[in-house]
Amino acid sequence: MSSPFAEQLDTLIRQRGVLGCLVVGERDGIIVDANLQVGVDGRAVAALAASLYRRARLSARAAGLGGVRFLQLEAEHGHIWAAGRDELVLVTIAESRAPAGRIRATMLQLAEALT
Amino acid sequence: MSDEIRRLSDELARDPSSLVFLQLGEALRQRGQLDVARKVALRGLERHAHNADAHDLLARICVDADELDRAFDEWDVVLRLTPDHVGAHKGMGYVLFKQGKLEEAERHLSAAASRDAEDASIATALHMVRRMMQYTNGAKNGNGAAPPAELAAAQQRVEQEARLLFAELLGEGEHTAILLDGDGLVTAGVYMTADGNDVAQEIGAELSGVRDEAQRAIRHLELGDWRSVTFETEVATVAMAPVARDSLVLLAAGASMPLGFVRRMLDRCAQLAADWLGEGA
Repeated sequence: MSSPFAEQLDTLIRQRGVLGCLVVGERDGIIVDANLQVGVDGRAVAALAASLYRRARLSARAAGLGGVRFLQLEAEHGHIWAAGRDELVLVTIAESRAPAGRIRATMLQLAEALT
Repeated sequence: MSDEIRRLSDELARDPSSLVFLQLGEALRQRGQLDVARKVALRGLERHAHNADAHDLLARICVDADELDRAFDEWDVVLRLTPDHVGAHKGMGYVLFKQGKLEEAERHLSAAASRDAEDASIATALHMVRRMMQYTNGAKNGNGAAPPAELAAAQQRVEQEARLLFAELLGEGEHTAILLDGDGLVTAGVYMTADGNDVAQEIGAELSGVRDEAQRAIRHLELGDWRSVTFETEVATVAMAPVARDSLVLLAAGASMPLGFVRRMLDRCAQLAADWLGEGA
């Protein structure tokens, strides 16, 4: 039986350079559903990305900046993107060559359906 | 008593000659338990009188207790034991700066910067001291310190320069930038609210934690060095990037500003901050 998120994750994993995409619980960092390339440690990505997103959300709220819609971490060898809604976070991890703008737009659109 | 302090205390009790007193003393110092920290450091020094790090620990405890002369003497011992000790040069620079002895402070901070060019706190302190030397124009009292009134005026001027670091670059738009040190404290820039209050310190303290979380993630996932973190909220886009080893520049812009423009401004702010810190190095 496929999860309600399978189609969304399929859309993302097909993008160039994407290594994995997951739907994760923001509070506990546990995977709800994932589509990962071989060798990607999904549990680590889920836990760390959820924690980062949660920290950003809490910090932004404390700083009076409102709720976080989208987060991007750019590092030397890749990206992590996260978009959240209703205590779920859509996470994508990708190589540096991935098309950032297209993935952001896709994730924001897909995050609307997270419930 | 925290678990960490209890563990270190137990370890020291089991082996009183162990160097674990250095970690225990530092943990106590960081918790503000200065009397206990001092006892631990002094007992450690009874067994390790020639350990430079033990004298450095005692010096830092003395600074926290506002005993600047004693701290200076301890760092002097450190330098006799380990002439290249960065912490001692940095600490002596700080004490001399507090005493208004800018030229001597500059010498020690220069020595520290030449041994650790990536430490943004040293670069910032050196930048400030050099600017103050310029503004006090070499004026000195009999004890070699700059006169208090001139010192205060110079410090105010340097602090104002730091507050306005990004002003020209950012112009009048709906965006603001601050430079934060490794502890999340504001080094330069301002963050003004609509009612005219500078809340840079509060914003910096809240948002710098995101950097720590990001570093944890990329370390575990082996993604190399972090280059930026950007998050979009209902009212703003916040972007941050590393500067030197521990500092970061944080740019906040209105949500209507295009993301690409935010990234360009972030890059320019980071370069400006690096240049500003580099003036001191």
